[in-house]
Parts: sequence; C-alpha cells; structure tokens
Amino acid sequence: MIDFVQNTIDGVMIGSSYALLALGFTVIFGVMRRLNLSYGPSIMLGAYFGTLLHIQFGAGPLAVAAATVLGAAIVGIYVERLCFAPMAAGAGIASMVSSFAIWMQLEQAAVLLLPRHTYAFPPLTDGAALTVGPFLLRADQLVVLSCVLVLTAAVHVGLYRSRFGLALRAIIDQPMAAHLVGVNVNRATLCAFAGASALGGIAGYLVLAVDQQVTPMFGMWATLKGLVAMMIGGLGSIPGAVIGGLLLGLIEAHSQWYLGPQARDLVVYAVLFGFLVLRPGGLLGAAPAGAMPVAQPRP
Amino acid sequence: MDDYVVGVLSNIGVLAFLGLSAYLLLLTGEISFGQQAFFAIGAYAAGIATAIWGWPLAAGLLFGAAAGAAAALVVGVPTLRLHGLYFAIATLAFAEMVRLLFELLRYQVMIDGELVGPNGADGFRDIRYVFQNNIEPQQFLLVIYALLVAVLLGFALLERTRLGVSFRMIGVDYVLAQMHGVAVARHKLIAAGLAGALAGLGGGLYAHLTTYVEPRLFDVMLGVHSLAYGLIGGLGTALGPLLGVLIDIGLLESIRAFAGYRMIIFGGLVALLLIVRPRGLLDEILVHRIGGAWRRWWRRRAAKEAA
Repeated sequence: MIDFVQNTIDGVMIGSSYALLALGFTVIFGVMRRLNLSYGPSIMLGAYFGTLLHIQFGAGPLAVAAATVLGAAIVGIYVERLCFAPMAAGAGIASMVSSFAIWMQLEQAAVLLLPRHTYAFPPLTDGAALTVGPFLLRADQLVVLSCVLVLTAAVHVGLYRSRFGLALRAIIDQPMAAHLVGVNVNRATLCAFAGASALGGIAGYLVLAVDQQVTPMFGMWATLKGLVAMMIGGLGSIPGAVIGGLLLGLIEAHSQWYLGPQARDLVVYAVLFGFLVLRPGGLLGAAPAGAMPVAQPRP
Repeated sequence: MDDYVVGVLSNIGVLAFLGLSAYLLLLTGEISFGQQAFFAIGAYAAGIATAIWGWPLAAGLLFGAAAGAAAALVVGVPTLRLHGLYFAIATLAFAEMVRLLFELLRYQVMIDGELVGPNGADGFRDIRYVFQNNIEPQQFLLVIYALLVAVLLGFALLERTRLGVSFRMIGVDYVLAQMHGVAVARHKLIAAGLAGALAGLGGGLYAHLTTYVEPRLFDVMLGVHSLAYGLIGGLGTALGPLLGVLIDIGLLESIRAFAGYRMIIFGGLVALLLIVRPRGLLDEILVHRIGGAWRRWWRRRAAKEAA
C-alpha cells in the first residue's frame, strides 16, 4: 500500500511536467490544426542556449530558465514562419514534414553549439527530499507541481478572460470568420505559437532541472511525451491535456514498479492505442469519433 | 562500380520500398508514422527464415513480405475508422509496441556451433545467406533493383486500374468516394495490406543487405523519414518516393564537404522546397503535364509518319 501511494505521488510529479508539455502542444494544435513535430526540438535548443550560458558564464538557475524559455520561443517563431505561415490551407501534411526537416536542423544546431553528447544541467534546488510519514517528496518536484498548477490556471484565464484569448478562440473556431471581424489572424497565430513554445520551454526547463542533464535526444522525448499526453487527454482540450499528462505519469510510474522498466513504454503505447481505437476523442476531446478536425480556410 | 557506390545504391533501393509503402497510404489520404514496423517485421521474418530455418532467399523474402502484409491487416482492422492525426498516432503507437516487443524477443538456435537468431535489444546478427552463397554485392544490388522495377511497374499498372483510381478518390475525399459507390473500408484494408507487404519485402532485403538488424533501427525517425520521401519526391507518381530517397541519401552523401552543417543545409532545403511545392517535386499537376506533353508529341510524330 505504501508502495502504491509512493508510486502515485511519483506519477503525479512526473505527470505534471508531461501535462505542461501537452498544454503547449494543445495550444499549437488548436490554433493551427497541424502537428508541429519540431515542438520538442525547439525546447531542446532553448535548453541548449541555457546550458551554454551556464557553462560559459556560470549563469544561475534563473538566468538559465530565462534563456531556455526565451530560446524556445524564438525557435518556435522561426518554425512557425518557415513551416506553418507560408503553407496553403490544404497543405497540412507538408507543414508536418517540413517541421520534421527543421527538427533535423535544430538537432544539428544543438550539436554545433555544444558538441558533447551529454551536458550537466543546473538543478533547481539542492535536491533535498522531504519526508511526510513514510513517503518521500522531492523539493524540486514540488516546485514543478506548483508551477504547473499556476501555469495551467494562467493559460485558462488567458484564453477565457482576455481579449487576446477571445481572438485565439475565434481563430480556433473559424480563422476566416475571425479575420472578417477584424482579428489579425497572422499575428495572433504567431503570438500563440511563440507563447506555446515558451510554455514548452518552461516545461522543458523544469524536467531538465530535475534530471540535471541534457542531450539532443531530449527533443524527441519532449515531442513524444507531449503528443501521447495530448492524445490520451483529448485533442484540443486544455483540461484534457492536463489530465492526459497526469494519467501518462501515473501509468508510467505504476507499470514501471509492477512490470519493470522494459514493460513501461509498452504499456504506455498499448494504452494509447486502445484509447485511439475505442475512444478516439481521448478522455475529454470534443472531436467526434474518427473525424479529423479539418483545417479551415485561412485568410 | 566500387564498393562504396554499390553500398549507397543498395541502401537507396531498399529504402525506396519503405518510401513506396508510406506513399501508397498517402495516396488514400492517410499519414502513417508506423510503416517501419512492417519493415522490421519483414526483416526479422526473412532473416529467421534463411538464417535459422535454412530457407532459400526467394522464399525468405516472400515470407517477409507475407508477414508484413499479415501484420498490416491485423492492425488495419481496428484503425480502419481512424483518420488524419488519429490514424497517424495509432500507427505510431503500434510501431513503437512492435519495436519494444522485438527488444524482448529471444529466439536463438545453435547452428554450426554458433548461436543464431534474434537476441532482444542486442539485435539479430549473422543473417549471412548472401555471404554464404557467394552472392556478390553487385549481384545483390541487381536483385534489389529488379524487385524495385517490378514494384514500380506494378504501381504504373495500378494507376491504370479501377483500384488505383479508387485509392486516389478516397485520398481526395473519402465521403465523396463512398457516395460514388467505392467500398472505402475494403479499399483501405487492401491499401494497408499492400503497403505492409512492400515494407516487409524491403525489410527482408535490408536484413540480407546489412546481415544485422536491431530493434532501435526501426524507431519513429525511420517512419517519419519514409513519409518524407514521398512528400519530397512528389505524390503524383510512384517515382516520387524513389526520387525522395535519392535526394535524401544522394544529397547527404554529396554534401559531406559541409560535414557539421549537413543537416542544417538539408533541413532548410527541404523546408523551402515544401513551401514552393507542398505535394513534392513530381506532384500530380507536373505528372499530368508531362503525360500530356508526351502524348501530344507522340500524336504529332504519328501524324507526321502517316503524312
């Protein structure tokens, strides 16, 4: 029983960072109706900027965090301008493949920036563990959890209580109609893309600060975890992204404990496959079963 | 031809099968992130057939293709009603499951005092049929391209049949195709099965070309690459994926001079190409125009000869 509770705690902790990754992914997908495979690699390159600052100038955690988030946002803007903005309405697959080509580019850029395979990433705290009764809580993971709660609330408020959020929701619904009522679709999309990449940057920073190391493979890891969490929770749903991330963390923690590390990923993909076949909309997805949210005509 | 050229050409030929497999599904409008799974299944099946069971190469390759097709049909049925991103992620999940299962697969048999067979994450060594039967690399290259030409001819025929037209109809709009009396579900299953067989055949060739396969070769990266081949080369003709592989490997091999900047140049070029030609170099419009020009030229020549 103690194991079960401890695993659940661990699952929620790691799941909260998945939730944040999925949140950024969901915002991009909602606005574009297209898959940005470069999402994870943008975060990875941002983290490399942070690491470079840390190695060259001995920057502290705050500066590293700022560099990571800013770097991810800038790379996100680059990806949007090159792979998404110039594409015609029917060219969703081309956008996706193009973002994959840019992924290759970003990975190489990271290697050029810092050529070793692995680099130490500055930790958030000294890694001390709190004990509550028989349970172990890592202080840095508590910071992650609280960041996730605050950011999710902020995204929610931003989308549902602000003028910019209203414009974004209009674009998500019908880009052409949004354009006709005076929304600058091009600029709002770019802002949403940069914001979502920054959100991913925060998630990436928190994960890396807990892991205390960074490799170019982090890009693929972040894209896959964000994608899986987003699909389990329900495509295009903000609460879905959070619940999907937490669920993914819980499934991983429990299957690793009871079935071993090799079976962990197998269980995750089996659950994902089962979800897609039996309930394609995910847990909270609004999309009707089996239908792809069609790209609307854009101005 | 020196060994280096033969090696590069063999690789291009084998990867073309994987590209064609993804291309066939793209024709029906579906994006698959999972064709590498059938490539892996074909590689393991064909390797086991020749290295452990002692089958001849042709039978082993056929077995690999059959295994790929069977697996594709098994996964095709539950994913039949999924479209777009849902289908793409379902195939991704399936392919990752296959890869992880191969990491657990251990089936080793003592042959001539050596353990042969898949050994989990350490991979499957010594698929040495080509070597043991004194087949030269040049001869094996010929085998690969003979099969590739046969497949390309098959695609050319397919474009002229009702089946091929139905595939493209479903790709443009499956609801419209259904309303015109195309049995969408059945056609999609046929496409999935054929694509699985193509990937399986390619996998069998790959295993015998490299004599060694391991699960981590068949990760998502390979799957996305196979999709990209069709999209770079063009969706208008089956030559498109082949052109895509040629560009990918050919360009990468030829810009070795830029060592550290290879992927930066290549990735940027592909992104720019897709802005100008979102359906690839040889897209439907270009193929149609070339076909029209060819027919006009042919008619004019025939008229001149008659006169």
